[in-house]
Amino acid sequence: MFTLLAQADTAVDAGKAIALALGIGLGSLGAGIGIGNIFGSMIQSVARQPELRGELQGIMWLGFALTEAVVFYGLIGGLLAFVLV
Amino acid sequence: MSWLVLAATEKFDPSHEFELPAWVPIQLGPLDMSINKAVVYLWISAVVSMLLGILLMRLRVGVEPGTRQTIGEQIYEIAQTQIAEQGLPDKAIGRWFPYVASLLIFIWTVNMIGFVPLPITGETFDLAGVELPVWGIYAATSSISVTLALALITFFFTHYEGVRANGPVRYFKSWIPDVPKPMLGLLVPLEVLGQFMRLVSLSVRLYANMLAGHMLILTFIGLIFVLESVVLAVVAVPAATVFYLFEVVIVVSIQAFIFAALSAIYIGSAIEPEH
Repeated sequence: MFTLLAQADTAVDAGKAIALALGIGLGSLGAGIGIGNIFGSMIQSVARQPELRGELQGIMWLGFALTEAVVFYGLIGGLLAFVLV
Repeated sequence: MSWLVLAATEKFDPSHEFELPAWVPIQLGPLDMSINKAVVYLWISAVVSMLLGILLMRLRVGVEPGTRQTIGEQIYEIAQTQIAEQGLPDKAIGRWFPYVASLLIFIWTVNMIGFVPLPITGETFDLAGVELPVWGIYAATSSISVTLALALITFFFTHYEGVRANGPVRYFKSWIPDVPKPMLGLLVPLEVLGQFMRLVSLSVRLYANMLAGHMLILTFIGLIFVLESVVLAVVAVPAATVFYLFEVVIVVSIQAFIFAALSAIYIGSAIEPEH
């Protein structure tokens, strides 16, 4: 796979590599916005009610991981398509 | 990741890093029970996580905690307040706290050992006539079989506990959402599918996180060798180091926490269904 990425022999391989990179890039875009929202809201909440920090932290990390995982579904899907198709 | 082997071999293909050749082939009928790198890493992690528990929480525990005991109590408190009490109903904490706490410590250990260079890559290199094992990093959780097995345990416990706490009729009735009759044909399959999607999301989240972390480091270091230019090391090595630190400091703990927290939430929601 990596050798293909590094020295794509045919146009098909090159196209697949571009599609993989584009797919992961666009997938990361959405998750990036989501993670930014989570941390932004967390900062706002803690600024308003600092005493809730401990309780909110657990929820924040949960939301962070759930959002972040979306990128990896894209990555796994992309890699599957790249290897299998 | 065995970069040192590059000195010895001409051809370098980074995709070989995630292959798992069988070291001790064992076939039980159709089941492939071979011992490979992931299995050895799991054994080491199991021993280390047990030692961690004994060392931090069992051995010579007193009323005046030292540093060692304070760390143990911190881990216990996170498992208690952030995981068990968030997900499980009060009556079930005593029963399921050991499971979610073990998940937390075990997955954390597996992930963490994945970033410690160990001489068990199964490859050797030649240094002045002496065969030395190649040191590399590899996480057992970057293999989907491992994470799927862990997710299956949670999946099984969820439904086992749901049936045990509510009885089979009430438990499976709770899967039927409270909507008008014509919608049921559409929503019940979705609900059942959702139960299985939990299995996928739980396992793929951990697997893909660890795989992607190792792949990032490998890609940056591998670029030097794939493109055969030493100058690239000026950029590649610091970049790989940054990702390595990000993984060790944040991702390793977060993923262990998430896996345990979601297991607690799933088991908790099976014990006390919403409708």
